[in-house]
Amino acid sequence: MNIFKKKVTVATNEFNQVVVGNSLTKDAWRRLKKNKMAVIGMVVVIFYSLIAAFAGLLPIYPYDEIILDHQHLPPSLTKNAGELMRVKKMEDLYAKAWRAGRLVVTEEQDAQLKQWVKDNQNNKVWEFCYAEGEAQRAAGTFAFNSSEQRTIDRLEEKIATELQVTVKHVYWTNPETSKRYDVQKMDYKEMLELYAKMFNVSPQAVEEQTEMEIRAQLLNSIKATAPDFTDEEYAGMVEDELKKLGEKGYDSLASQNIYGKIVTQSRRVVEQELKTIVSDTDTKFPLKETFGVGNDMTAQVEASKKHERRYFLGTDYSGRDMLSRIIYGGQVSIAIGFVGTLTSVLIGIVLGAIAGYVGGKTDYFLMRFVDIMYGLPYMLLVIICMAVFGRNILNLFFALALVSWLTIARMVRGQIMSLKNQEFVEAARSMGASTGRIIFKHLVPNSLSVIIVYSTLRIPAFIMQESFLSFLGLGVQAPYASWGSLVGDAVASMTLYPWKLFFPALAMIIFLFAMNFLGDGLRDAFDPQSKNQL
Amino acid sequence: MSDATAMKERQPLLVVKDLKQHFPIDAGLVFKKQVGAIRAVDGISFSVNAGETLGIVGESGCGKSTSIRSIAQLYKPTSGSIVFNGTELTTASEKDLLLARRDIQMIFQDPYASLDPRMTVRSIISEPLVIYNKRGLLDKPMSAIDIETRVEELMERVGLNKAFKNRYPHEFSGGQRQRIGIARALALSPKIILADEPVSALDVSIQAQILNLLTDLQKEMGLTYLFIAHDLAVIEYISTRVAVMYLGKIVELSKAEDLYMKPMHPYTRALLSAAPIPDPKVERTRQRIILSGDVPSPDKERTGCYFYDRCPNKMPWCSCHIPPMFKISEGHECACWLYDSTDHAGQSMEEAEADALASLRAKETAGSDIGAERK
Repeated sequence: MNIFKKKVTVATNEFNQVVVGNSLTKDAWRRLKKNKMAVIGMVVVIFYSLIAAFAGLLPIYPYDEIILDHQHLPPSLTKNAGELMRVKKMEDLYAKAWRAGRLVVTEEQDAQLKQWVKDNQNNKVWEFCYAEGEAQRAAGTFAFNSSEQRTIDRLEEKIATELQVTVKHVYWTNPETSKRYDVQKMDYKEMLELYAKMFNVSPQAVEEQTEMEIRAQLLNSIKATAPDFTDEEYAGMVEDELKKLGEKGYDSLASQNIYGKIVTQSRRVVEQELKTIVSDTDTKFPLKETFGVGNDMTAQVEASKKHERRYFLGTDYSGRDMLSRIIYGGQVSIAIGFVGTLTSVLIGIVLGAIAGYVGGKTDYFLMRFVDIMYGLPYMLLVIICMAVFGRNILNLFFALALVSWLTIARMVRGQIMSLKNQEFVEAARSMGASTGRIIFKHLVPNSLSVIIVYSTLRIPAFIMQESFLSFLGLGVQAPYASWGSLVGDAVASMTLYPWKLFFPALAMIIFLFAMNFLGDGLRDAFDPQSKNQL
Repeated sequence: MSDATAMKERQPLLVVKDLKQHFPIDAGLVFKKQVGAIRAVDGISFSVNAGETLGIVGESGCGKSTSIRSIAQLYKPTSGSIVFNGTELTTASEKDLLLARRDIQMIFQDPYASLDPRMTVRSIISEPLVIYNKRGLLDKPMSAIDIETRVEELMERVGLNKAFKNRYPHEFSGGQRQRIGIARALALSPKIILADEPVSALDVSIQAQILNLLTDLQKEMGLTYLFIAHDLAVIEYISTRVAVMYLGKIVELSKAEDLYMKPMHPYTRALLSAAPIPDPKVERTRQRIILSGDVPSPDKERTGCYFYDRCPNKMPWCSCHIPPMFKISEGHECACWLYDSTDHAGQSMEEAEADALASLRAKETAGSDIGAERK
């Protein structure tokens, strides 16, 4: 009964009901939903995009935190970093023992091991020596000598006690008003005094020291961008740079410098304090506490046992977590894919629509310009752009967008030319519609399906190009990552540390596959003549 | 009806004088050079009175649609004048043109191509209102709700269910789509509607519905139509006056019944004789006038009668003299030398050519005199 009533409120007779139209887009959406691969592709793309967008909220290690003890740890679901380090050390020791002849193996095995060494397959040597050594040690036929045992003991102690301390904030409490201030937000002079008090030196000395350091920093950055000058010229350039900075810029640089030192000092103090309590079983790690660091100053720190970390996808050459590097790398790659495509599509639509609709000389010159751009080697142009304007993400993305609007401009022009003589455009003109209205209300929406399909297929191409450039070392620079740069970094040590190559490549492959399936699905969905119609 | 309104009704709403629409033929890669022109419309003159329907007939490619598009200023006419309601459209400023266009609306031939497939019926019908509202050229500005009610009103007026306003054109049949096109043309309450073969893409029963709708609307709103068709029966049904076009020229212009009863021009006769008659007995005895040859290409300038190549009654005179419109009776004009007061039938080719040359010379000297005076 209830259902019946509801129906009645919607429509009392056939004349006062409002029928919702079945637009072409809606139709396409319905057809897309029937295409399983496209839907899977879409889900994957959405999943990737969400992960990339909310990477900052995920419980992963910072992608740029370098822990040198954790270099090249293999991926593992069960063992934490400490255990892996221990295994690695043992492998090393057993292999050394085999070389020294202390780990006795059969002649056949010996020959095999030598062959592996010859073939540069050290991984297999280590693995075999570790397995053999553990077995022999358990059987009592092999024992570590005292120096080896010492090394292992030291490592184990290190694993048990070493802490990763991060200083989140440093506060200064005014002893008179007992009000707390965040040191990072103070201005340069106040910071200077605090620092001087901390180390018991005169503020003037600190100021001089800071100035020297800033000069050195500027000199280094200038030397990096413009090599081959004499020392006097460099000195002049530093002065220029200082002038350019002005008082404000200098102060901000200087306070960054001093704040860094304050943080380092605070961490040292906290680390000392924590060392005494780390062996207490009562203290639970990771901890998040506030410690006094002297001179009315307190530091809010997070501390965790460094070697209890787990790296599910292993680590790279400076001990950074591959999982978070892949996620943050995906962020860069996907962003470049989407934003780059969007920019090139926008440029392409506007120029293509103008060329197609206005026609005549405008069309002629625009299209000849496109032809010339086509004639230039595409990648070379991007590489030159990157080399001239400097290597950073923004330039990379501009360089890619700059040369990739050509195809879409041509395509839109073709579409618009075939549409502009249709009667509905003439109808709009006879109604006094302006050129802009005709282009953007009638012509572009009608060619949108082609544009959407093209852009979805364009995104993977963009990601590939970005990866290629990063692979060549022209794209994203460390500590930032992108899938391409991760693969590029891993290629050199591919045989020793295959996981460094495998996981970023896998992540990229899945995304590109998904994107291509989605693009194909969209093309079929938007094409009314396609076979999988409703 | 008072005399004043009668006078006003007789006053022509649209006067077209010597309208020419030539499309240039260009050659060359970068620097285009005009090497010729397609003379789609080559000097037509007529006037349309308020409240009447002027039908234009002619075979395909004779320039019917082009002339209507030039009148609507979709093409820039090559020469000639179009005066609508006192405004000269060919030289009007953009604002004047827009104001004049508010009263000139078009209905298109193909109901499938003339509606934007990405727009709902509501936005299609309201588009002229929205454009003119935005430009501030409506008599009084309309709010969104005003426009919405106007759209519903129009939909009901042309016989569409207003519940369908959110639908898209592809969800309608051809006849319904043409109704949408008519509703769009009516949105700004125009004075004249230029209908470019509005029924030729529809089947016969739907044609009748649309024609009846158009006549009803004309009676109700006092609309004027300039109506193109190549179906003679349709033209006979809807027109008060008929213009017959051939190769970019009007060859005969008369009241509808006159034309069908007493066709004067040889081409009109041939055209009318080609139409089947829905009566088997008459149809069996129908005499067809079969024209020889094809319609010549409109790409060269002509010195004689445009119909000369195919005319069954041609005389040597016709080959080198363009016929003016001869008045046959009240409201009946025909461009054929047969109806000249002097009889040209006896003249030989030599005589005709000599006469043409002499008149050309006379024109040239007159031209150079004017040139000399100017100097």
